[in-house]
Amino acid sequence: MITLHDYLMEIEGTNHTPGLDPREIVLKGGYVCDMLSDVMGSAREGQAWITIMKHLNTIAVASMTGVPAIILSKGNIPEQAVIDKASEEGICICSSEMDSFSLAGVLYTLLQK
Amino acid sequence: MRWFTADLHIHTVLSPCGGLEMAPKALIGCLKSLGIDWMAITDHNTLANCPAYAAVAAREGVGFTWGVEVQTAEEIHLLVYFDQPDKAQAFGAELYESLLPLPNDPDFFGDQVIIDENENILGMEQRALINSSLWDLNTSVAKAMEYGGYCVPAHIDAEVNSIMSQLGFLPAEPVFPLLGISAGLNLEQYLSKHPELRGKAFLRCSDAHYLNDLGSGSSKVFAHEARVSELAKAALHLEERRLLV
Repeated sequence: MITLHDYLMEIEGTNHTPGLDPREIVLKGGYVCDMLSDVMGSAREGQAWITIMKHLNTIAVASMTGVPAIILSKGNIPEQAVIDKASEEGICICSSEMDSFSLAGVLYTLLQK
Repeated sequence: MRWFTADLHIHTVLSPCGGLEMAPKALIGCLKSLGIDWMAITDHNTLANCPAYAAVAAREGVGFTWGVEVQTAEEIHLLVYFDQPDKAQAFGAELYESLLPLPNDPDFFGDQVIIDENENILGMEQRALINSSLWDLNTSVAKAMEYGGYCVPAHIDAEVNSIMSQLGFLPAEPVFPLLGISAGLNLEQYLSKHPELRGKAFLRCSDAHYLNDLGSGSSKVFAHEARVSELAKAALHLEERRLLV
């Protein structure tokens, strides 16, 4: 079992939602996509969602699908309104300098251990 | 007031995916034969061919609106319309600077040809126009409004490059009273799947890239004249304006 905290350590990730504790978020898998319509249909509860999409709707889609954490790749940082909404919805939003491919690779490797 | 038959999403020879047959005389001749009397040119991320088509449309008695199909950072296609050509051009200049500086590959996407009203080639656009602006949706709308632009999300039912595909659903902000739909969409069927969109106004367009596409989709607008301000009123059914798709 891995937590979001374990993952963030590997990807040098930053948590933008300090009210949420990554040690308490268990990751069961991941989903990588930037088209929200696809994520709505395919992301599953407990997955970390890796994307560059930082529009406000991202939070609603995460909430709808049960995604507990959004990992923004390539150093993308959301606007404050997006962070506020994420905190309100209990969705941990994080950033890493790595690209989506590498972020997925690290998560995949962690989950195989 | 009278009814106009409007097709407000048409590409020209400047759109990389647009056919070279979309030269002004042929295109506007074709529109007239189809009974379309209000057109807008909406190339990808540029307004550079609007002057040529506006001149021919004026000569041929077809209502003309300056437009552009902006591709936002989220890869949403957003139609922006203008009543004032100088403001449209100023918006176009700022938009151009916001495009990722990728060169066009003519072998892959085709040439991007800028022409005058007599169909002389003024130049080739070298920067790839099938490309995103660095502006996200909110920024694009704010910029458009600075220049008096009126924004309509393009073909919302499309599986790619639509506000619905990219964002999953219509965001609460900014508010769009008018939404573009694809030429062949069965609107009633679509609304039964998206009841949240009931009450919105819709604009059916051809999104023509080739002459054969013209006439595939248009909208009826009851208005004083072929102007964006009238379209905006028609979308809201203000002052007896109407819009039917």
